[in-house]
Amino acid sequence: MTDSTLDSREGAFAPVLDQEQATGALEAALAAAPADRVEAFITSRSGDFTRFAGSRVHQSQAIAEVQIMVRAEVDGRVSRAAASSFESLQEAVARACRSAAEQAAAGVAPAPARAPLPQPGTESGIAGVDPARLWGEDTAAWSVADHARLADRAMAEAHALGGEAAGMFGRAVTEVAFHDRESGLSRYAAASEAQGSLTVRIEDGSSHWKDLSRFSGRLGVEAAIDRTLSEASRTRGRAKLEPGEYDVVLGPLAAGELLDFFGAFGFTGSALGAGVGTVATHRGQQVASPLVSVHDDATQDIGLPFPFDFQGVTKRDVPLIADGVARDVVTDRETAHVLGTASTGNFHIAREEAPHAIPMNVVLRSADSSEEELIAGIEDGVYLQRFWYTRTVDPVRTTITGVTRDACFLIKNGRIVGPVESMRFTMSVLDALARVDGVGRDSLSQPLMNVFNGSASAPAIRVRGFSLGTAPVMRGRS
Amino acid sequence: MTAHDWGDLSDDVAAAAMLAEALDAVQVRGVSYADARLIEAEELRLYSTLEAGVDERVENNLGIGIRVLYNGSWGFASLPVWSSADLRTAAERALANARAADSVSGAYRSELPPLPPASGRYQTEVVVDPFGVSASARYELLAAVLSAASAPAEIVTAQAGLNAKRQHRHFASTEGSVQHQHFIESGAMALVNAAGNGTLQRRSFPNSFHGNTAQAGWEYVEGLRMVEEADRIGREAVELLTAPLAPSGYADFIIGPAQMALQIHESTGHALELDRILGDEANYAGTSFITKDAAGSMRYGSPAVNITSDPTVPGTRGSFGFDDEGVPASRQPLITEGIIQNFLSTRDSAARIGAQSTGAARSDGWGYLPVCFSTNVFLEPGEGSTEELEERLGDGFYIDDNRSWSIDERRHDFQFGTEVAYEVKKGRRGRLLRGFSYGGTTPQFWQSVEAVAGPEEFKAFGMPCGKGEPKQWGFLGHGASPTLVRDVRIGVDR
Repeated sequence: MTDSTLDSREGAFAPVLDQEQATGALEAALAAAPADRVEAFITSRSGDFTRFAGSRVHQSQAIAEVQIMVRAEVDGRVSRAAASSFESLQEAVARACRSAAEQAAAGVAPAPARAPLPQPGTESGIAGVDPARLWGEDTAAWSVADHARLADRAMAEAHALGGEAAGMFGRAVTEVAFHDRESGLSRYAAASEAQGSLTVRIEDGSSHWKDLSRFSGRLGVEAAIDRTLSEASRTRGRAKLEPGEYDVVLGPLAAGELLDFFGAFGFTGSALGAGVGTVATHRGQQVASPLVSVHDDATQDIGLPFPFDFQGVTKRDVPLIADGVARDVVTDRETAHVLGTASTGNFHIAREEAPHAIPMNVVLRSADSSEEELIAGIEDGVYLQRFWYTRTVDPVRTTITGVTRDACFLIKNGRIVGPVESMRFTMSVLDALARVDGVGRDSLSQPLMNVFNGSASAPAIRVRGFSLGTAPVMRGRS
Repeated sequence: MTAHDWGDLSDDVAAAAMLAEALDAVQVRGVSYADARLIEAEELRLYSTLEAGVDERVENNLGIGIRVLYNGSWGFASLPVWSSADLRTAAERALANARAADSVSGAYRSELPPLPPASGRYQTEVVVDPFGVSASARYELLAAVLSAASAPAEIVTAQAGLNAKRQHRHFASTEGSVQHQHFIESGAMALVNAAGNGTLQRRSFPNSFHGNTAQAGWEYVEGLRMVEEADRIGREAVELLTAPLAPSGYADFIIGPAQMALQIHESTGHALELDRILGDEANYAGTSFITKDAAGSMRYGSPAVNITSDPTVPGTRGSFGFDDEGVPASRQPLITEGIIQNFLSTRDSAARIGAQSTGAARSDGWGYLPVCFSTNVFLEPGEGSTEELEERLGDGFYIDDNRSWSIDERRHDFQFGTEVAYEVKKGRRGRLLRGFSYGGTTPQFWQSVEAVAGPEEFKAFGMPCGKGEPKQWGFLGHGASPTLVRDVRIGVDR
């Protein structure tokens, strides 16, 4: 314990630390580390998250977390150690160096080589991202009291309709600092984040909305509450849908869920290096409709843009699928070295996982159709608002399974005619994307599961032939 | 020196003083209850992969999480503790958040029935301190596991992992409870993918969810026989490349303990979480097909189905002396002879149905507030060996190790796939099949259970789980003996 308190800006919507404090601490702690190479990053995240359900705010939370992770290299061996305070940082440095030395003494194989870091001065701390895309003063002003008021409104109006609302409104500040002793490179950025999600249930009907942005004003929460209440009302009295293949419009949340799987389906440097997955087997080939372009892009003004990764590497626009053609993979410094390329700034280190590069800010590029126009192009089909609990079934065929959920409607002659029940689906993601013949204009963003600062952003898409339901079989023993 | 003498929070007396200081800051008018959890956690993880070599990390964090019940509204705040001032800061933030929740018009006001103060100490019994194992021993084991797993030429990716975690978890409440728990975990994993014949086949050991982690010392890892098992899964992955595809239709089969653990987790544990049943998780984790009046009357499964929540059983990630809101651990029957008896509940959720908490308030750590998570939720064993169960099966399959899993938000409609399936003919296990999947509804499935093998075949698994917004991880235990089910739909994922 020290005498210095963690957060001197009590009540302010601000980074837990600041650039001078964060990078200064890293530079000082690493200066005399007994290692051949040493680097470290700090992540902090501080936020207010107001969860509500039924007739109360049941989880009104203020959560602040800090992690400082040191990477030491001794005689080609690497170890990491992490702490949650500056006081423990020096011990983390010592542990990382000691452990790397122990690996060397034990004859552990050297760690793989890495693509080099840029020289200081060639990339500034926020190169590649306009700083204006990182921080929203509207988010800073979007207080816990505002979250409670919005929750109050959603719950009260749902009750008035005979239903219930549940959801979350929240804001956070994300901060990352990085320092590499040998190159002298220091980087720092802080970003605001606003999130909203809402589920309204009325009798057997329900609707869901979710979005996130650096800017609370872009969420359009009041309008989202109106729309979700209205859709929940319109989904009462759902009809059963027969299993089969349907033309569908996937709403932005359903389309965005497909993007979750690009890490599992071979759009990573490690998969390409191992010779497995979509890019390894189909690079340069048409794997989706020409209307489909999926990028890993943390530089654009959508989702959660951020300038660099935990290895200090500038993020860039990586076309995973461009105009339907399988193009590229995301990398960290290790996989980039193997592939003979530069890192795309996608180093990822998560709990209970080995570090690896994954897509982190996945964007399905939007076009210019409204949802109504996409629906108008379907004679006999289904609108699906979102998917639930989707998981990989076959990574080679890019098959996933899940269930449809909330506001799902039958489409007849270009118009929505009535709500339908949720159904299980099992479908190849790339097969679905190959059948896209319309792409929407307005995107929603959602968090990527277990990815720090991760987001998936997509507009609605129209898919010609989407398999819904499990085909019936004759009863009897196999 | 014991395995628990480490870090900054090993001293119970000093921790109790810090908790008292934090709770002192919320002793204001309108606060009917508050609790604080002061936690230090340290986790060691080593991974080795074919492409990236050894990656080792040790992560330490220390912080406080405080809950306040103000005028019947909850507020929570968490903060890493850098100084004693942070204790008060966290408390003040929790109170401010409770006041914000209190501003909601017509809000339901929580009332906690008083809980008699419960104080005490709990610690994991450890033979070999995993943090005391020599670095060279760890590296040698890791290298041997990776080498064995990746021996066949068809293996394109392989990963070996070792892990250990230790925690000091201190709790105090305004009701007078003061609790000190000291946990130690050890675990290991091996995972391979073989490619060929137009397919990619995965095998894992001891479980497909990050391996397996026990609340125990390094003796647990030593008992896993990781090198021999890694060799086996490498060969099995290759064998699966040319194995026949499992059929579709309806079948009888036996589900091994690892897949049963997943089945229990998804369709029992989550379905019985009372916060879900009451709608608290409707926006994120989902709801449940089980209703709040189901206890004592609702048929969930066949008479062979007996499921308990029992954190008093030592040795898994769901073992503890007190839950994260201070309720002493106790064995709770959840399902007896197929009939629902009780829920996994917290004090808040239980109070809303006029019941007592069943001690299932769990949290990831100091950063997140306690919610309903499974503890040790086990399918109670029946009798007999796996071989006897296969004889009883006759013709069918023996399946295990989850490959794919999905269930609807009410925990009703599910579809699961397994890494392996063995054909069983006339009670004898035969050839290996690939791509086995099964599905249906939760009540259909559990009512199809005919028999469960005996306690000598029982295995428990520590598993991670996600819940809440922002998402937190829960760590829990599920276990079962091989289980015979009849007339269940298979081949559902194609």
